[in-house]
Amino acid sequence: MADIELRDVTKIYPGASTPAVDSLSLSVDHGHIVTLLGPSGCGKTTTLRLVAGFERPDAGSVLIGGAVVAGPGAWVPPERRDIGMVFQEHALFPHLDVAGNVGFNLPKNDRSARVDEVLDLVGLTGFERRMPHEISGGQQQRVALARALARRPVVVLFDEPFASLDADLRVSMRAELRRILKAAGTTAVFVSHDQSDALAISDTIVVMRDGRIEQVGTPREVYQFPHTRFVADFVGRTNLFEGRIGTDGRSVETEIGSASCRHTHSLPPGTPVVVSVRADSLELDAEGPIVGRVKETTYTGRAIDAVVEVERADGTTRDVMVHAHPEQVVVCGDIVRFRVLPDFVAVIEE
Amino acid sequence: MRAVATARGTATALWSRVWGGRPPGGWLSSFGVLIGLVMVLPVWYVVWRSAFAGAERWLRLLDDRVPSLLWSTLSLAGAVTVLAAIAGTLLAILVHRTDLPGRRVWRWLFAVPLAIPPYVGAMAYIVVFGPRGWLMRWTGSTPLDMYSFAGALFVLTVFTYPYVYLVVGAAISRLGGTHEEAARSLGLGPVAALRRVTVPMLRPAIGAGAILVALYVLSDFGAVAMVRYTTFTSAIYYQMGGFDTASAMVLSVVLIALTLIVLFAEGVTRRRMRVTGHTTSRPAEAFSLGRWKGLALALSAIVGAISVAVPVAVLAYWSWIGAGLGAFDDRFWRFAFNTLQVAGLAALLSMVAALPVVYLRSRHPSVVSSLIEKLAYAGYALPGVIVAVGLIAFGVRHVPLLYGTAGMLALAYVVRFAPQAMQSAGASLALVSPKVDEAARIQGLSPGGVLARVIVPLTLPGTLAGGALVFVSAIKELPATLLLRPIGFDTLAVRVWVESSEAVYHLAAPPALLIVAMSVLPLKLLLDRFGKD
Repeated sequence: MADIELRDVTKIYPGASTPAVDSLSLSVDHGHIVTLLGPSGCGKTTTLRLVAGFERPDAGSVLIGGAVVAGPGAWVPPERRDIGMVFQEHALFPHLDVAGNVGFNLPKNDRSARVDEVLDLVGLTGFERRMPHEISGGQQQRVALARALARRPVVVLFDEPFASLDADLRVSMRAELRRILKAAGTTAVFVSHDQSDALAISDTIVVMRDGRIEQVGTPREVYQFPHTRFVADFVGRTNLFEGRIGTDGRSVETEIGSASCRHTHSLPPGTPVVVSVRADSLELDAEGPIVGRVKETTYTGRAIDAVVEVERADGTTRDVMVHAHPEQVVVCGDIVRFRVLPDFVAVIEE
Repeated sequence: MRAVATARGTATALWSRVWGGRPPGGWLSSFGVLIGLVMVLPVWYVVWRSAFAGAERWLRLLDDRVPSLLWSTLSLAGAVTVLAAIAGTLLAILVHRTDLPGRRVWRWLFAVPLAIPPYVGAMAYIVVFGPRGWLMRWTGSTPLDMYSFAGALFVLTVFTYPYVYLVVGAAISRLGGTHEEAARSLGLGPVAALRRVTVPMLRPAIGAGAILVALYVLSDFGAVAMVRYTTFTSAIYYQMGGFDTASAMVLSVVLIALTLIVLFAEGVTRRRMRVTGHTTSRPAEAFSLGRWKGLALALSAIVGAISVAVPVAVLAYWSWIGAGLGAFDDRFWRFAFNTLQVAGLAALLSMVAALPVVYLRSRHPSVVSSLIEKLAYAGYALPGVIVAVGLIAFGVRHVPLLYGTAGMLALAYVVRFAPQAMQSAGASLALVSPKVDEAARIQGLSPGGVLARVIVPLTLPGTLAGGALVFVSAIKELPATLLLRPIGFDTLAVRVWVESSEAVYHLAAPPALLIVAMSVLPLKLLLDRFGKD
């Protein structure tokens, strides 16, 4: 059963000419972790706030646990929606200690037992009497999560929870958060503008743009097989080539040669398409069919990002992003050969 | 010879270590130290000389005057602080968090009483409520005995609540809505969220505002003197009037101690809770007043009437009468010119004094620079009457040439108000990254060149704004002006005091109105400053 359902929800802020959220429909299954991913202004935060009850939809309805909480003639205020929320920069109550924050507004009879329980879940037993400013950023994040979980909400909402953490901490917090949510069996909706956060933490990613959904899928689907140019570009960088579906129906004839492709949407041979080829899908290979000259290289530690100038059939040139293994030696000006692996090639629906 | 050189080397090394390895230039540090010393001089002199007041005088005063003065001062300060804190907080919430109609106007109007010096307000309400006031004449009775504790309480509350109102209002804007939303997501209704999360989070701001009110009441001379209520300040003033400087100094020392206790309390509340600002916070949702809207509007109108409309109307009425009787004569304009002259000199000196202090504090942070800054705030934190007592005593004994000149009065204003210029200039300088200084050095400027060609131009707007605040404070200042003015050198504030104590309101109102008019101008600066910090 869907814990959260949005049906044709539209939100237009007063004075705005375009809707922040534009007849958006989405459902989130029980126990799933969903991330709304998109650039700022795409409507992801508004969507989250519509679910939380901090914004009222102008059209459509929002259901939580099967009950309509917002819609024509229906309105349930945030405090009665059975949700938990983890805010950007945590929003811990500075006048209360850790136990006071986690136990905030819990029924008295099982408050201390529940506080102990969730603090144990987030690994903060022993921190009960600390004040928020006396603990680290990562610990504040755990307190915020414990506070959100304490009331056993149907769903926990996360507004850019990693934005205020530094790079090392966010990598470890992603795994930690996922473990805790799965252990608690909680449904969770995240809002993020960072693709690596989204890929790491989600069961499902919802890519949004201009108040609409661009693509819904597992992290693997969204990364490997983007449906649109926007998704291909926003979720990891990519090379876009124009071409036609090959005669076998399992490859694309592009401007730089043929690329085998498992994700052609079963389009008939000869159809003009745009194909996204991730840099990871281009492998340097002395025997490879494509030739180019290295224009730029960036050593990132995990890979070498190279920009290679490739000559098209008609004699003009274009740049292609290629990932090389960090052990390889790639020098500007080198003539290299490479080939296209089929894994990260996807035909984009135009 | 070697030993001297070594000693000098050690001293240099020590000096450098005090400054964290980056000592400022000699001129700059000497100037900074000099300013710190001048600023603390009057207060220090009062404390030091009080030791020579004699055990017998000390005991007599401690036994006789001090207990009753403590009671009258503390009871008034306590009552005003509580009332002002409640009124200021309520009005701030009303303006910043509800759908009160006309919020933009109220928001500004509730801050306007800051432009009306309490002694002018006291004069206006003596005209209304006094024993020969309007109400007495029209109705035969008056609801408020102005010459009493209640009168002092009323006037001081009405003209000091904006301190709390502004500080709490700024805190509400800074707080944003996120914590309240967190409380909502944890099952609290909107009113419960306000009560259990927002108000506790505002407690430091309410405390900070309340302390400003308490400090003001401790320092106020004009208003309490006009309603003939005796506190430490008026007692000290009248001791000076009776040429009993020694007793005035003893009482001053007790008042200094009281003020320090309040300042210490401020430090404690400030440390207790740290509310971190939320950069991405969205503004909190406004409460719908619903059927309370009428009541809220009526309350706002009453506050606006009492704190702004009535006093201004009284001043305007008597100024109009005065105009008919020739109050705006040559003498009046001479008083106005005297005021501009001495306040302008004070503003200029304050701006010059502010620069090295804030520069040392920002660019060469050390024990020395923070000590200089603390010393510089001595006269600002303490009542004006104490500064006057110290300057008079010091001037008479040590610099008779300066004593009794307008320069001495300007110096008193600088000691009293230069920290306002320091706050403004410091805030501007904080916005200029030290990297800018370093960039200028790399481009070939000397440290002095950096100061003249980079720091001064960049901080000029803030420094000028601070100068404007000093100017207005100096115009309004009463006790130091009364005690230190050269004979025959009357300012507007002095005229208000002299004429209203004789109940010659048609001559008291025009200078009072001019003071209020000039004080309204930099109100915006003040509002901006409260909004920022």
